[in-house]
Amino acid sequence: MSDPHSKQADRSWRSTDISSTLAVTGFQLRRMLSRQRLLLAGLGVIFPAAVMLAVRRTVPAGLDRDLAVTMIYALVPEAVCMLGLLVTMCPAVADELERGTWIHVSVRPGGRRALLVGTYLAAVIWTSTVAILAAALAVFVAGVRQPWPLIGMLMVLVVLSSLGRGALFALPAVILPRRALVASVGVALVVEYLAGFIPAVVNQATVSLRLRSLLVSWMNWRRQLPVEMQLLIDPQPAWVQVTAVFTLAAVLLVAAVKILEYRQFPPSTEI
Amino acid sequence: MIEVIDLVKHYRASDGSVVRAVDGVSLAVAPGEMVGLLGANGAGKTTTLRVLATLLKPTSGTARVGGCDVQNDPLGARRQLGYVSATTGVPDRLSAREIMRSYGRLHGLSEGLLVQRIDDLVRALGLTDFADRPTGRLSSGQRQRVSLARALIHDPPAIVLDEPTNALDVVGARDLLHLLDSLRGEGRAILLSTHRLHEIEHRCDRFVIIHGGRVVAEGTPAEILRAHASLEAAFFAAIGQTDVPVGVPGMPGERHHA
Repeated sequence: MSDPHSKQADRSWRSTDISSTLAVTGFQLRRMLSRQRLLLAGLGVIFPAAVMLAVRRTVPAGLDRDLAVTMIYALVPEAVCMLGLLVTMCPAVADELERGTWIHVSVRPGGRRALLVGTYLAAVIWTSTVAILAAALAVFVAGVRQPWPLIGMLMVLVVLSSLGRGALFALPAVILPRRALVASVGVALVVEYLAGFIPAVVNQATVSLRLRSLLVSWMNWRRQLPVEMQLLIDPQPAWVQVTAVFTLAAVLLVAAVKILEYRQFPPSTEI
Repeated sequence: MIEVIDLVKHYRASDGSVVRAVDGVSLAVAPGEMVGLLGANGAGKTTTLRVLATLLKPTSGTARVGGCDVQNDPLGARRQLGYVSATTGVPDRLSAREIMRSYGRLHGLSEGLLVQRIDDLVRALGLTDFADRPTGRLSSGQRQRVSLARALIHDPPAIVLDEPTNALDVVGARDLLHLLDSLRGEGRAILLSTHRLHEIEHRCDRFVIIHGGRVVAEGTPAEILRAHASLEAAFFAAIGQTDVPVGVPGMPGERHHA
């Protein structure tokens, strides 16, 4: 037995925090390599390509590029990312909080913060990997001209979607761990798909507005859009949209970490 | 090493009422000492241990681990404490080595130190035969050993165990308690909560009996057993339930009649 203080004296808290977070990320990624999760990942990769194949067969002359891009955007950065995060972020955090593992993580220095941020990073990595593969496969199956720039754009949208929405789902996971999945579906519908399409200040705080605006900007669609549709995008430059997603993710994650750090979990037998 | 002074922890229940889970508990555990924290369900054992483990904040009073106050220096307290609970919470798909490695990294242990520490724990806790097997395939006793190894990965001088033998059979419980004996021999302070009194009757250096959130009796086994035939009898007397049925002769709880 030795003095833990002296052992760790040469390691700064910042590096310990990073290594703790990465430890949780690795731990969660290994847990995500189960047969069920891999099957789910396979379905997530194949589903958009299957849809594009089915649509393409109905158009012998080949799909219009803009239509194909719109469909792939709706299928991958929106649907696949949303579903991927729902099955990784919420259950993982809720499981840790409710089933007993969290106690053992929380009694480590910086454990609660590492638990949440590490799980978030694992969910983002898992979802982004699945969605990027899905986007690439869908683009090739759709037979779109000049596929590589399109895949590059979709990769950025996928990563931004995962970062923003993963943080969004962290909140219901820590506030309502027992109903995390239901609460997250509610948040997705109300925040992302209701508030996100209201042309008012409220949609400025949604990831969906930022992703749509980036898509329209990078595809040079703005001038073609009818006036009423232009209300559903933000005309500011791409860097503003990207910064907005990062800021939103950071604010949501900090809020979730603070809630988790101050939350107390009394034993059920004594209350 | 472990100190609890006049600890109070109140909760607000869902109906708005205040629950006094712990109401002025004081206890201490010195290095190389094993103290049994005894009490019925809802007595306040788990709340006391969770305050020590920095999982709950005290309403008032003081709790220290290795001199670090759990409120003012929770990180210091966490570095000095190993925590084991009845629910092992070990992930089924990971092996003991993988679990220890992950938790060791949570403490910021360097790779070299971590490898050495895992090897030491595998040997000391008898995990050699199943250290690389997914824990989902292990028995309850083996999983609890993995849980103990996880708690010891950062080499803490103080260990708190919350009903660690609950899910274990007789053999598993005996093996775990043997391990605790050896950890005490290494100079660690051990605070063990249980309501399986017969298991620890001859193992602990001192007992603290709590009931309704208060300490109702404490002392060495000799002091506690002075007026009673068994720890169980002393426990029931301390919590004011002396009308327990007479035990089977030779079994814990047996009371001698003049």
